[in-house]
Amino acid sequence: MKALGDLRDYAVARVVGPAALRVQRWGNQWRAWRGSGWESAYLAPPLGVAVRGKEMVARHWLAGRYANRDRKVAWITSAAPVELLHALGFFIVYPENHGAICGAARVAVDLSCEAENAGYSRDLCSYARTDLGSLFSGRTPVGRLPMPDLLFACTNICQTVLFWYRVLAHQLRVPLVLIDTPFVYFETAPEHAVAYVQRQIETSVPVLEKIAGRSLGMAKLKETGTLSREAAHLWMEIMQRNAHQPAPISVVDQFTLMAPVVEMRGEPATVDFYAAMLREVDGRIAEGVGAVKDERHRLLWDNLPIWYRLKDVAEMLGAGGAALVASTYTNAWGELADLIDPEEPFESMARTYLYPILNRGTGHKLKTMRRMIDQYSLDGVLLHSDRSCKPYSIGQLDQRDRLARETGVPALLLEADHNDSRCYSEAQVANRVAAFIETLER
Amino acid sequence: MTGIRAWGIDVGSSTTKIVGVEAGGTMCLHLLEDSEPRAEEQIVRMLQRAAAASGDQRVRPLVATGYGRKLVQQADRVVTEITCHARGAYRALGHGGTLVDVGGQDSKVIKLGPQGEVLDFAMNDKCAAGTGRFLENTCRRLGVDLERLGEVALAARDEATLSSTCTVFAESEIVSLLAHGVGVEPILKGLHRALVQRLVAMIHTVGLTPPLMLSGGVARNPAVARLLEAETGETVVVPPHPQLLGAFGAALVALESVGERPGKP
Amino acid sequence: MQPDVNVAPLPSIPRRRDLARAHHERGGLVAAVLPIHYPRALLRAFGILPMEVWGPPNVDAARAASRLQPYVCSIVRNALSFLESGGLQIADLLIVPHACDSLQGLGSVLLDFVHPAQPVLPLYLPRNPAPEGTAFLADEFRALHQRLAEVTQRTPSESELMQAILDEEVADDLLRRVHEQRPTLPLTTFDFYHLVRAREFLPLDSFVSLARAILAMPAVKSPPKIPIVLSGIVPEPMDMLRAVDELGASVIADDLACCGRRLYPAGRSRDPFMRLAESLLGGSPDSTRGSPIQDRLDHLLGLAHSTGSRGVVFHDVKFCEPELFDLPVLRRGLRDAGLPSITVEVDLNDAVSHQARTRLEAFLEMIA
Repeated sequence: MKALGDLRDYAVARVVGPAALRVQRWGNQWRAWRGSGWESAYLAPPLGVAVRGKEMVARHWLAGRYANRDRKVAWITSAAPVELLHALGFFIVYPENHGAICGAARVAVDLSCEAENAGYSRDLCSYARTDLGSLFSGRTPVGRLPMPDLLFACTNICQTVLFWYRVLAHQLRVPLVLIDTPFVYFETAPEHAVAYVQRQIETSVPVLEKIAGRSLGMAKLKETGTLSREAAHLWMEIMQRNAHQPAPISVVDQFTLMAPVVEMRGEPATVDFYAAMLREVDGRIAEGVGAVKDERHRLLWDNLPIWYRLKDVAEMLGAGGAALVASTYTNAWGELADLIDPEEPFESMARTYLYPILNRGTGHKLKTMRRMIDQYSLDGVLLHSDRSCKPYSIGQLDQRDRLARETGVPALLLEADHNDSRCYSEAQVANRVAAFIETLER
Repeated sequence: MTGIRAWGIDVGSSTTKIVGVEAGGTMCLHLLEDSEPRAEEQIVRMLQRAAAASGDQRVRPLVATGYGRKLVQQADRVVTEITCHARGAYRALGHGGTLVDVGGQDSKVIKLGPQGEVLDFAMNDKCAAGTGRFLENTCRRLGVDLERLGEVALAARDEATLSSTCTVFAESEIVSLLAHGVGVEPILKGLHRALVQRLVAMIHTVGLTPPLMLSGGVARNPAVARLLEAETGETVVVPPHPQLLGAFGAALVALESVGERPGKP
Repeated sequence: MQPDVNVAPLPSIPRRRDLARAHHERGGLVAAVLPIHYPRALLRAFGILPMEVWGPPNVDAARAASRLQPYVCSIVRNALSFLESGGLQIADLLIVPHACDSLQGLGSVLLDFVHPAQPVLPLYLPRNPAPEGTAFLADEFRALHQRLAEVTQRTPSESELMQAILDEEVADDLLRRVHEQRPTLPLTTFDFYHLVRAREFLPLDSFVSLARAILAMPAVKSPPKIPIVLSGIVPEPMDMLRAVDELGASVIADDLACCGRRLYPAGRSRDPFMRLAESLLGGSPDSTRGSPIQDRLDHLLGLAHSTGSRGVVFHDVKFCEPELFDLPVLRRGLRDAGLPSITVEVDLNDAVSHQARTRLEAFLEMIA
């Protein structure tokens, strides 16, 4: 009976499911080609490759349903040195991405309530609450989450993930491998911090190998590193194309199109995907197509997206002729591309994973935003003050004041939360955004 | 009436209550007034009323509870609402379970053991969203009479979704719903839903042990009980005089303090 | 309500301002140190008097509102408010250890935007245990040593540093003994914390004499009425402790980040920096050090059992992620072991609210 079940799962995961997703993609592509199904008066339809991206993500989660049968599964934080795990053949799940999917599907609050009912405070990160709620209730919009054999957390995005993964480790009785990345207060990280991170990565290898049941091949690690770097490079190039006016690809689209570079970097298909996207973006530039039909204002977005209001925010801004052209968030997945050196995997990983924007000072973020304002010719900044992400949000008040004072670019603080719609006041945001756009018009 | 053996006073944020019990813990006298800013004067006056009505000039032993319990200088003992509600509910209903009390100032969920002992409790005391005041404020804004609030909400065919459970946000959300032409009834139902969901979250933090009991002034609002049943799948039991449960419990504590045991319901 | 305590007058604690002035007059520097873990001995070796800043409570918190969002905890907000209102003028330098995302943010905002008059020295606390974490922390102390040498224009010799470490270990040991002896100390909960928290700003010698004086107090015979364990970050507002006393209970052991989690054992290495690192990472389990929750639970159960406590009060500062994440597992674990617990959430600037007091009172009625 078990063999029969295995066979059925195999058939669903490898044959039927992917075929169904492919048919779905053809349908979507056909509709996109005919231009039907897109009704926005202000926004250009999404990129054609978007349907392919959607299929990649869907395939990933489909495979995830049955991953526990024949693969070792790792749950990992978004900016962890995933190359190691890829090279060791782990099936990788990003609880943060899962949280975002729940947010976009507007089930995050329901799931959060499950966690809150179990005693988790509403003051905790809404990704963590969403995922814990999903774990406690077994409910998820992706069908089924494979349970982890390994938890892999890197503190370079926040300390929150450490506390969160400690809960998971306790709950699931699964080993937690921690890569602790000292916060970079100044321009560069001290050498002893690099050495500390490198030592942790190196000593994690035998632990990971034991769980994976195989040893780490250096050739495979190099290959993964190369692919990871290529994908990040292409992603960076795509974002940089937005220096053109009108900007060909909205940040709102970037928020969803970044999924592969976050969760599938290190895989060949990801490189192909971004190569195709770059071609399409270049096509848009050649035709003079912008993401916002009548682009009059070019804005910067800081912090995580408001997952449950992505489209509304885009429409709201589009109606005022405002395009979201660049964001510190999507940029974070491309800006470190050059640091990855497949020839020196451990040391370069240590440096790469020390330097995400979230592991650097508030002044560094200001500098980054100022550079982006110049590079992308921006005339306004939206700072999402995200109740659930303190490391990203602390410093925004000073950043706002300094931007306005030193660059003359107005900046608006929007109080919300990336996943918890209860912290979002529709009317307030609409009013503030409308008033902000009015300032830009003057 | 001279059979009164013990007294309880519950100085709440919305109302002040006095209860007298006779031997065996049967409630035989009660007074209820809206709480006034000069609480101490009101307490003196109400105690005089109690003395006049009962013929017991001393009004002792007296146990005080509620938000203003420390202001009752006449009290022999001061006990929290948690203990008093538990005592009152057990005497009134004769069983344990989960008691939800929605007061004006805070709301609480108390898990009672089979003998009426407090096993655990949760209080919502920082946020107005789970309290009677939440409904009171918004019904004023919607121009609905407080007494009819529940009826009107239950009569609604549709239900507006209020995404915010924060009172401040909810108020601005209501304004915007009204501006979009949504009717008063669906908004009211949505409001009740928000309140009840808040309560259910608290119930889960202590763990739901049936039966579910509801007390406090809000217990007179039929919509809260019905929605609570719908959200938990449990039948809601409302004790007689749900608003007096705290004062009743205080009187029972006073009765115990003179060595008498309350009987069964 | 506890007649047999406080018969003898309490040792008096000098005021911070006077201590700072006296220290300055002797030519030393004063460091304002933010929570939680830092190498006291290293500062002392440079003749620096560390004065810790836990909040403080009841400052005009509005000062921080122009730089920090409302969802940042009051410990961090108050520290910034206090600094911006001139409260830290007596300090010659600021040490900002890394304890959580909010303190990280504060350190960064101080360095990049506030630019206070004093130098700001951040310090990262490793979350990975030995040996990598200890080695890193030793390096971090070496780097701090270098910065302190720049700031103070002096460099203690290695033997001076080692002596400072050994002296501090004596004080640490006394503090641990004071904590262990507390069930029989003739002190109310309020007075206990009033005295032991002087460790946060007293010069070494003064603290050693104080600790010895506490240990020499006559023991109380009758056991406390309702013994409880207190867990959390900091016992502020201190009125909460008064409430504990008034309600007839007594905190008999604690798992507070600022107290019980800083009973550091002595290090083992001969290298002074390694020795300091071993000591700092050797304290009891702490959420901000990333300790596994099971370790914390075991520690709490151990504290409760060894002292015969009837319940645990989690006294948490609102928005404190490190503590709030562990809370449900800890409470469940305690409940399974038959130990009731309660959470009281506080803001440093709120006087103990009626509600918090009621909650505590009801809990004590429940466990009495």
